[in-house]
Amino acid sequence: MSDEEKTPEAPLAAEAKTDQVPSSPDSPVIASATTESERESLPDLPATESFSGSEPESEEADGAAILDETMSVRRLPRGLIAQILAPEDETPVWIDPKRLGRQSRRDFLLFGAATAVSAAGVWWLLPDGTKQQWLSPAAASRIDSIEARFGVTGQRRERFLGRVLTFDDDVAEALYSRNRRVRAYRPSDVTPLRNNYNGRTPTGGYLVSWKLTLSGLATGKETTLTAGDLSRFPVRDQVTRLCCVEGWSAVAFWSGIRFAELLRAYPPAPAARWAAIESAVNLDGAGQPDPYYVSIDLDTALHPQTLLATKQDNRPLSLAHGAPLRLVVPMKLGLKNIKAVTSIRYTADEPPDYWNERGYSKYDGL
Amino acid sequence: MLHPSLMSVTPVDTSLSDRTVVTIVRKHHRLVRLAHWLNLPILFMLVVSGLGIYWASPVFLHPADRVTASRDYLADAGAAVARHLPSDVPRDQLRFWFYRHFSVGVYALAPALRLHWLFAYLFMGCGLLYLAGLVNGGGYRSLIPRRSDPREALAMMRYYFGLVPMRLVGRPWLHPRVHGKYNALQRGAYLSMPLFGLLAMASGWAMHKPAQLGWLERLFGSYDGARIVHFIAMWVFIAFLVPHIVLVIGDGWDTMRSMIVGWSKRIGEPHE
Repeated sequence: MSDEEKTPEAPLAAEAKTDQVPSSPDSPVIASATTESERESLPDLPATESFSGSEPESEEADGAAILDETMSVRRLPRGLIAQILAPEDETPVWIDPKRLGRQSRRDFLLFGAATAVSAAGVWWLLPDGTKQQWLSPAAASRIDSIEARFGVTGQRRERFLGRVLTFDDDVAEALYSRNRRVRAYRPSDVTPLRNNYNGRTPTGGYLVSWKLTLSGLATGKETTLTAGDLSRFPVRDQVTRLCCVEGWSAVAFWSGIRFAELLRAYPPAPAARWAAIESAVNLDGAGQPDPYYVSIDLDTALHPQTLLATKQDNRPLSLAHGAPLRLVVPMKLGLKNIKAVTSIRYTADEPPDYWNERGYSKYDGL
Repeated sequence: MLHPSLMSVTPVDTSLSDRTVVTIVRKHHRLVRLAHWLNLPILFMLVVSGLGIYWASPVFLHPADRVTASRDYLADAGAAVARHLPSDVPRDQLRFWFYRHFSVGVYALAPALRLHWLFAYLFMGCGLLYLAGLVNGGGYRSLIPRRSDPREALAMMRYYFGLVPMRLVGRPWLHPRVHGKYNALQRGAYLSMPLFGLLAMASGWAMHKPAQLGWLERLFGSYDGARIVHFIAMWVFIAFLVPHIVLVIGDGWDTMRSMIVGWSKRIGEPHE
């Protein structure tokens, strides 16, 4: 004689329980345990969510009050919409207090452990400057050294947050489409565009001898272009928004040549995927040379709204806004719109980027 | 076939005799509980990093102050507090006070952005957990507005306003009858949280990717419109927290415990 025949309800009850076990994500131990320990999970049994109704039961869903002797069904109104909108079931459940206590103790222990881990994690992720402002520098370094004992170090934080930036950049790259135009405005929508650069604006001395150097070309040779060479390209007008990483934005009216047309006239080497664009005449706050450089993926460079602008508001670019040639790339953050471009180098690998080296992201797609 | 959450089946363990049982009612699905508590560190980090980002370019500005040159209301509010504190904040740094204490700090845009992206993704993941829990456990049913809500909301407000005065004069003051898990005020508040979460997420993406998600930016009117909505959503989260904590404390241990263990011993009683 088998157990099943001795106790007729047993198979039914066991069936109900095995149905419930897979949907108990926070009790993996229970899921792999025997029937006896499955009973342990009873207090946590959210029967509504765990009962995976099979065909015969679902047919009776809007009627039957009794499914079988071990279960009672709550009456639901007729009609799918009415059933979906029905109030939440608050049917009381009978539970062995010992099991309830065990289950609750486990939940509280988990809760306490998770609280401690979250607090430690939040502290780990905070910038050093913030920690010292919120507590004292001494207290901050004391907590840091405790965390470092568990391998939770500032170096790891930097690596981890760097990966977060890369992930967000990958999302931006996935969203990008060369066929999607950014919003174009009318010239009357133009708003004041501030010169947000902290460094000194160079005097116009460099303009006399200004040349654009192209390298990494298919020809294998370096090419220099003068303003006269660039004036052979058709000029496009474009009114687009420039969005700064700081949060402000401005609508500006640009005129210039399409980067795509420069790429067609002077094709890059076949392996090239990136453009390293540099302004050698950039100055820092003290007026010392501080070359500025950005990385632009060629897919973005080929976008029809990516311009090498020579004019703003129908006038030649001012020194403050990047005379004689600046990049206008409205599908990237403002900091990629490099002023006073002096060289473009096409590369296969991603070139360095000025602000990326200072903790900002690299792709900066809007 | 019906979704399992529509089928309400309560197993009764026949092996239990009447003397060894305790009667409970299930309260919150485990994913709802998990998402509820995860929100705490996530929203904290989003607020402190978000204010650090806001500092770089405040939205709400007034004409520059003649003395401090500040144009930022939050900076002014911080300076006003710092001036009355015994601490020795240098005069030229008074306007940093708010941002230094309630955000990751000033001139910390790069670290603030990194943290904000990280916790924005976690916030969205947490929202998915919450939704899965709501649907799976049927908890969404208690959040759906009911026709009786306006009347019940007025009754609840009358109850709350009268609670303290009636206690002082020693007169009985009865809690209005509530059918189900939440009263009308709670239903409104608890439904507004996921909705504002959605709004915060949508406005966040609108300003994070205004070029690729231009339609989303237009939904908020403009780029700055999305920034303002995002900022308001933050204040709504903060404003929710105060009455939420006060009411949970006032309502007692059972309510607090139910958000950790998922059951309550208060059957058929009104609770906060």
